[in-house]
Amino acid sequence: MGTILELQGVSMSFGGLKAVDSLSFDVRENEIVSIIGPNGSGKTTTFNVISGLYEPDSGDILLKGESVAGLRPDQVHDKGISRTFQSLRLFSNMSVLDNVLVGMHSVTDAGLIASMLRLPKVRREEAAMRVKAREILEMFPGRFSGPRQQQPAFSLSYANRRRLEIARALASEPALLLLDEPVAGMNPMESREVMEQIKVLRDKGYTILMIEHDMHVVEGVSDRVIAMDHGVKIAEGTYTEVANDPQVVEAYLGKRAAEATA
Amino acid sequence: MRLSEVTERVSGAAARVPRSVYAVGGLVIAIIFPLLNMAGWVETAWLRVGVISLLFVMLSLGLNIVMGETGLLNLGYIAFFAFGAYTTALLSSPKFELRWPFLVVVVLSALIAMVAGFVIGLPTLRLRGDYLAIVTLAFGEIVRLTITNLQDFTNGPNGITGIYSPRLVGEGALESLGSTGPAAWLVIDKPVEYYYLVLACVAVTAVLISNLKNSRIGRAWNALREDELAAVSAGITASRAKLLSVVLSAGIAGFAGSLFAYYSNVISPESFLFMQSVIVVCMVVLGGMGSIPGVILGAIVLQALPQVIRQAAGAARSEFEVYRMLIFGIIIVVMVIFRPEGLLPDTLWRREAHEVDPREQEKTRQSLFDLEEGEKDLEV
Repeated sequence: MGTILELQGVSMSFGGLKAVDSLSFDVRENEIVSIIGPNGSGKTTTFNVISGLYEPDSGDILLKGESVAGLRPDQVHDKGISRTFQSLRLFSNMSVLDNVLVGMHSVTDAGLIASMLRLPKVRREEAAMRVKAREILEMFPGRFSGPRQQQPAFSLSYANRRRLEIARALASEPALLLLDEPVAGMNPMESREVMEQIKVLRDKGYTILMIEHDMHVVEGVSDRVIAMDHGVKIAEGTYTEVANDPQVVEAYLGKRAAEATA
Repeated sequence: MRLSEVTERVSGAAARVPRSVYAVGGLVIAIIFPLLNMAGWVETAWLRVGVISLLFVMLSLGLNIVMGETGLLNLGYIAFFAFGAYTTALLSSPKFELRWPFLVVVVLSALIAMVAGFVIGLPTLRLRGDYLAIVTLAFGEIVRLTITNLQDFTNGPNGITGIYSPRLVGEGALESLGSTGPAAWLVIDKPVEYYYLVLACVAVTAVLISNLKNSRIGRAWNALREDELAAVSAGITASRAKLLSVVLSAGIAGFAGSLFAYYSNVISPESFLFMQSVIVVCMVVLGGMGSIPGVILGAIVLQALPQVIRQAAGAARSEFEVYRMLIFGIIIVVMVIFRPEGLLPDTLWRREAHEVDPREQEKTRQSLFDLEEGEKDLEV
């Protein structure tokens, strides 16, 4: 299994606060890696650095051996990393289908003049995009069927909006999918369903790096788990290894609890 | 019944008619209109109103790309119109004794306006909302003041006079055909000829823009307007997409400006006042941002209606001119309160204005119910 993503000593600070401190880890092909950690431990900042929203102060980020550090978000997306957001960021007035179609922007190439004239090749591309978008939406069986695809995104239920964000991120068939708390705010039944879908994605060959607080989900899907605290990686390994790591217990429950379990 | 209910019912009925019916109907009316003049039922003055209205339709279509699709407010839009008009005036008037071929001049006018759009767009598109509005407003004023003061080129406030009428074929070509003077039908100089020329240009522009709106590029613009951060994270290059919309809209304004210069024979800086930019913004807002039929209607209403009222006012003509802007203002205020999405709204903007459109929601609920009848999972 080749390495898809590699972080080499990535640091990112805001003023005096070191949000991410020389963080290094890698994600291998067809693997699901979860990042866990208390609030403010730098998980989302790590995602923002990887996806190009922030430029790291130091260190390097390699996607399949090629540096993507310091690129703009759209360039990072072109290279093959797409993401979802912790706080939903859909194009809420646009239809479900259009949301997915926007996700395909970087893998399609109809130009200005061709689009204005609606040349045959543009029509073919549009038709192919729609077929593909429907296929992606079908990956969430029964959630985006028929008339729902024409509904505006804001009219969806919360869980479906989260699913739609994943669908949009999948539209470009990324080499690496970043999921920022995919089951946040979902009830246990819904999160189990999403968990199954994440596994299906891995079976289809996707590589996934996700941030998650729901330990059932983390335990259920992760091949490896990385724990962060105060911007530093404090543990890495299988779920059981990480969950029993004294430093991780301390980060979540405090020193005394850590001593009690030790 | 409340006013909003009335408008809701009217628009409900209007929405049931397919859009293509409006397009064809509008075009047919526009084509028939000059025939009424030829039959002697309508004064030629109304044909002139028609030409100017159509020019403003084109301006509104152009401004709608930045305002309605990409969501950027441009308060100096008329400057691009001025670029097109002055390019045409300089290349086809006694000022420098040039008489370049019509097609070359029109294309060049649009290109120069596009270059201006690029130059102003490049540094300013990082700005948002109010800041962008202020910068574009200043840009419009700078262009106008430069034109006024660049006496050697533009004759300053006097303007450029005697712009030649457009000739569809160059003079050389006619001579080679053995003709001595330009054949009458190849020179556009009557209002009715201008009318059809501009109408054809407007129709083509509208079709091209509506194709673009439903393309990958149009979706990218809408996505940027909805959520820029999500759009760039989904692979859209914000700077390129925004610049494209500004340059394209500038090109359309330049094109309209060129036709305007040809049509009016004389242009001067007072055609390019800040108020003109505001009026075009009003046309787009009134008609419905992002909606092509909407902005066409908005432009016609705001350009032609004052003339109708002026005609009706008769003796009180000069009085009316004083109140024109006041009436515009009132119309816009009323619109923004009762129908912020415009007269013929675009779907996205209607959702934006109302969050949940009851009509649309009821429709989808019904079809979902039909589809999933028996399934208990309707909401999750």
